Amino acid sequence: MAEELLRVDGIIKRFGGVTALDDVSFSINKGESLTLVGENGSGKSTMIKIISGVYTPDEGDIFINGNHYKKMTPIDSIKEGVQVIYQDFSLFPNLTVAENIALNDLIISGAKTVNWKKVHDFAREGLEKIKVKIPLNALVGELSTADRQLIAISKAILADAKLLIMDEPTTALTRNEVKALFKVVKELNTKGIASIFVSHKLTEVREIGERTIILRNGRKIIDEDAKGLDVKTIEYQMTGRHIDTSSIEYSKPKQDDVLMKVENLNLSHGFFDVSFELHRNEVLGITGLLGSGRTELALALFGQKPADSGTIILEGKEIKIKSIFDATSNGIGFVPEDRIKEGLFLPQTINNNIAAKVIDTLKNKFGLLDLKKKVSLSEEWIKRLNVKTPTGELPASSLSGGNQQRLVLAKWLAFDPKVLILNGPTVGVDVGSKADIHELIRKLASEGMGIILMSDDIPELMHTCNRILLMRRGRIVEDFQRETTNEEDLNNELVASDVEEEAKR
Amino acid sequence: MLKRVLRSNEFVVLLIIIALSLVVGSINPTFFTIASLFDLIRASNVYIILAFALLPVVILGGVDISFVAISAVASYGTHMLLITRGYEGGLFLYFVIGCLIGALAGMLNGFIITKFDLQIFDVSLATQTMWYGFTLFFIGATSNFDMPDGVVGYYSSFITQVSNETTGVTGLHVSIIYVIVIGIFLWWFLKYTMIGRGIYAIGGDKDVAERTGFNIKKITMVVFIIMGVLSGFAGIVQSALSRNFNPTLFIGQNLDVLASVILGGAAIKGGRGTVIGTVLGVILTQIIRRALVLTHIPSEWQKFVVGIILIIFTVIPALNEKRRKNQGRTTDLVEAMEEA
Repeated sequence: MAEELLRVDGIIKRFGGVTALDDVSFSINKGESLTLVGENGSGKSTMIKIISGVYTPDEGDIFINGNHYKKMTPIDSIKEGVQVIYQDFSLFPNLTVAENIALNDLIISGAKTVNWKKVHDFAREGLEKIKVKIPLNALVGELSTADRQLIAISKAILADAKLLIMDEPTTALTRNEVKALFKVVKELNTKGIASIFVSHKLTEVREIGERTIILRNGRKIIDEDAKGLDVKTIEYQMTGRHIDTSSIEYSKPKQDDVLMKVENLNLSHGFFDVSFELHRNEVLGITGLLGSGRTELALALFGQKPADSGTIILEGKEIKIKSIFDATSNGIGFVPEDRIKEGLFLPQTINNNIAAKVIDTLKNKFGLLDLKKKVSLSEEWIKRLNVKTPTGELPASSLSGGNQQRLVLAKWLAFDPKVLILNGPTVGVDVGSKADIHELIRKLASEGMGIILMSDDIPELMHTCNRILLMRRGRIVEDFQRETTNEEDLNNELVASDVEEEAKR
Repeated sequence: MLKRVLRSNEFVVLLIIIALSLVVGSINPTFFTIASLFDLIRASNVYIILAFALLPVVILGGVDISFVAISAVASYGTHMLLITRGYEGGLFLYFVIGCLIGALAGMLNGFIITKFDLQIFDVSLATQTMWYGFTLFFIGATSNFDMPDGVVGYYSSFITQVSNETTGVTGLHVSIIYVIVIGIFLWWFLKYTMIGRGIYAIGGDKDVAERTGFNIKKITMVVFIIMGVLSGFAGIVQSALSRNFNPTLFIGQNLDVLASVILGGAAIKGGRGTVIGTVLGVILTQIIRRALVLTHIPSEWQKFVVGIILIIFTVIPALNEKRRKNQGRTTDLVEAMEEA
């Protein structure tokens, strides 16, 4: 009989009038791995914060290692061995690997001075515990995301973690890195350390967790062995609605109507000899693993990282894209992957964000900004894209993730581009909003826009694209028609590049 | 390890210093004399101590411009306090009182910044003006040339000296001892104490530092106390060397000191900076100044040249960063290309 590590019982947490968690109970045993899934606002982050002592539940009990808590402080939680690894990993980019790993311990022990030999020994031991090799003297800022994550894990293990909670740990990792991460965590599980993954990626849920808990609107919907769950079920249980993909109406591109033609495009350290055609009314997917060059290609087409050589022909005319300005003045729009950093002016109002790209067209006869025009334009797009907000005068930062993504789209759609490049348009967006965004993409294409969709989300590509190009090591290696391929084949091809690389090592 | 040293900022500055010295020396051989070296050291000492005062603030992620005003109020205030009471002793009492005034003035900066969670620059802009104004209005508006008996000979307190027919007696001034002692202390403090590491941590990422458990208020206060003490100390050394105490000491020189600190490899956005780099940064600035005199280039050029070097020094790390970003996550690609 496995030993119980943590049990929460009848947890209720309210914020004002909103019930974030409504009578949630579950337990986790030593060495068990659990996946916590739910849409944005389902209560999963609230649950994590309750377990880590950041929030105090309004009702309910927490038992850790047999100790009963009504109120638990973050310090209590850490003392009981709960360690949360947040998405930013809480590391210092300007300090070495060794110091980053050892700092916590130094602070907790109340040390006044630093013994560097001890710091290095301590860090070495920490990395050995999770069986990874990272140079101790390297600056953390120079490492990859995957390495930083491993450092965060080894930090947690050294802090005597009994329960490791990881918030969306795979978002920025390549498949190989994800595999390596899972391996490390599985190894820790065998040593009796329990783990909770908070995840959005449905395909991964079964891979990681022995058990899956699905939260919806603050309630626990499912708590069972992950093996018995398929993606469709998880999707349904998360959203509470069936996301029907059978009746999707795809846009019908006209094969002879070439909107954009790319020939022999090159970028050193990026991609080589990339050629493709984009037709009017077409959604063209471009996929590949992280590092395959797809992101670089997207940035090159938008002028953010201009290509070194090659030609781009738009509507029969050759155009030069050397800067973002070149791209936009030729009618190319771009929705970036990191909407927070690159897509929005967060402190500015929603109205201003929507108007930002088209400010020139909102002039009155004196050349001044016509505020009424601005508001009516903005309101139209808020309505069309179903952005949930009481008024467009609120700052963009007040919106939830899914709504922010819609706002980025609105900003570019108001600009009415000929070609719209979307780079991972639904990364970190919940399932429901995702389906809405997919529908919108298809609709835009059927209205005549040419859309290039960069993504590694296979179902997303299958739900939206007419054609999918696969990139591997900087080259386009395959061209799939949606009608003649299926998710499994595409997935196999994508992973095949992984296997190939592994074989080479 | 060797690669790291060779690629470090300090090493690049050292190379520039050597190259520049060779050029200047070949045009004007007097640059290579012991007298010239002693003179260079003497001129650098005060600015190195001032740069030491500023270094922890820069590592913390801030820019302070008030430290020069703190030097003025501490040195001029101490002098007027002692000289009007007929003090005839040595500099020791000057240092005690001056550093105390400096510490208090630094604490005021630290207090306002931590209490109201303000930007270091904004607060220092105010306190700089305030301290110069305070000194001029309440203490005195003119330079004072009266020296206590114990201070009169300070400007020529040499550890060892050389004499030359044309330049007369030049010596290695005792102030180099302060630089060495303070430098070693600061190096130890930054590298081996938890407060020192906290300064780097806060400069690297303030939010993470707070979450990790560093006491940001305490560390900020310590940084400003150090800044105040060293500024006061530098003010007194400078005044005693030039044999006059001046209410507008160092006025307008704060940005030159900042430039030296940045030349020495400290990052203006915080989190990076070393004692040895700072020393080299000041020496480089001083050599440029000298080089232009020795090679008969008009002195107006000096600031221009320092400016150009600063531009180069800010552009190089940015370029490196950009290149790293461009290569980004495509390490597999690079390998693939190398295989091909």
